[in-house]
Amino acid sequence: MKCIFRNKRISAILSVVPGQESRFDDERSNYNLTEEKARRMKKMMGLDRHRVAAPGVCSSDLCVYGLQQLLNEGTLKKEEIGALLFVSQTPDYYLPPTSNVIQGRLGLGHDVVCLDLNQGCAGFVIGLMQAFMLLDMMDADKVVLLNGDTASKLVDKHNRITYPLIGDAGSVTIIERCAEENPVHLCLKMDGSRHRALIVPGGAFRTPSSPETLKLVEMEEGVVQSLEQIHMDGAAIFNFTLEDVPPQIEEVLSYSGNSKESIDYFLFHQPNQFILKQMADKMKIPQEKLPNNIVGIYGNSSSVSIPVNITHNCGQQLQNSALRVCLSGFGVGLTWGSMVMNLGPLATCQTVDYEAV
Amino acid sequence: MNKPEFYQRLAEILDVDELQPESVLRDFDEWDSLAVLSVLALADSKYGVTIRAEEIRSVVTAADLADLVEAKQK
Repeated sequence: MKCIFRNKRISAILSVVPGQESRFDDERSNYNLTEEKARRMKKMMGLDRHRVAAPGVCSSDLCVYGLQQLLNEGTLKKEEIGALLFVSQTPDYYLPPTSNVIQGRLGLGHDVVCLDLNQGCAGFVIGLMQAFMLLDMMDADKVVLLNGDTASKLVDKHNRITYPLIGDAGSVTIIERCAEENPVHLCLKMDGSRHRALIVPGGAFRTPSSPETLKLVEMEEGVVQSLEQIHMDGAAIFNFTLEDVPPQIEEVLSYSGNSKESIDYFLFHQPNQFILKQMADKMKIPQEKLPNNIVGIYGNSSSVSIPVNITHNCGQQLQNSALRVCLSGFGVGLTWGSMVMNLGPLATCQTVDYEAV
Repeated sequence: MNKPEFYQRLAEILDVDELQPESVLRDFDEWDSLAVLSVLALADSKYGVTIRAEEIRSVVTAADLADLVEAKQK
């Protein structure tokens, strides 16, 4: 799918990360890794530290913390909100939708449309698409997009493949109408035939929760997981990222009339440093225009990785000026979506630590 | 395909000085999931081919791997 959105802009982005840092070097003993293997893995994947939410802290808590801050500081007023979108793979409940729960917690009006979207790596791009579509149709001025994931609750501490890479985070993005045309170009593709490449196979209704789905199994040395945790076919995901994403970047650049040179930053989902370097090389994009540092600082926070990438790497710049950016999210689904837009100046563009209230 | 060059690149991935075509990949300490990803990346970036994980699993020696990459180039 390809489309163009007009007369809409992002006006603020706030990322919220758990305050506590966990370091790869301290976790090494959980993984049965020799010092040499740990060193190799750290270097190749760009691991150092990541943020993991405390037990009892949900994705929604991180999002509410951020939304409350924007309301408190006056960046956003409750009565301006027309819709609340919550993109997550770690909701509070099977039902009701977490967006309704958040609406209630914040005391938002009954005219606010609440929607949960089950999306991961491409979830920021898809959330923006949904926000733009709602603004096209409704009379309210602003849509609030919440991205939240606590993947730490879907992986085992003793899994050296998944645990070191993940990070928990939430973000709040305000999308609003604007007088300028400000075109946003989107290219989006999905391939459900490859849905098993990244999956939590058990615990829902296809394979309901049971002692069997909860059993922790050591798949290989240092790789412990249950059927209710994330299973990733690393090689399949790697090939997908290198085969399917670069052509989409080319497509969205030509669709929007841009060249690689006219884009200031390529702000991509952050699975790990290795794959992002490969992508940059393959697309002949200078490494400094395609940041790859987020996994080693915060961890891969699924749909929140693009907002965290934006606020961490371009926060200062975007509070003062505008940049032309290419966003791209790719992974679970499989789903891959890329957008080109002018971003900034933003009322807020920063990363804050979550503190339990 | 320049085979000696391929073996040299493979040796770098396996963190050894040199590699014989008949070397069995599984015998190397470093032949793990990270090495497999590195081989997939090497095949893509230097040889312009995509290797599937299941194809790598059926490979035994360094020469088998070289042959697999070369066959894909044709």
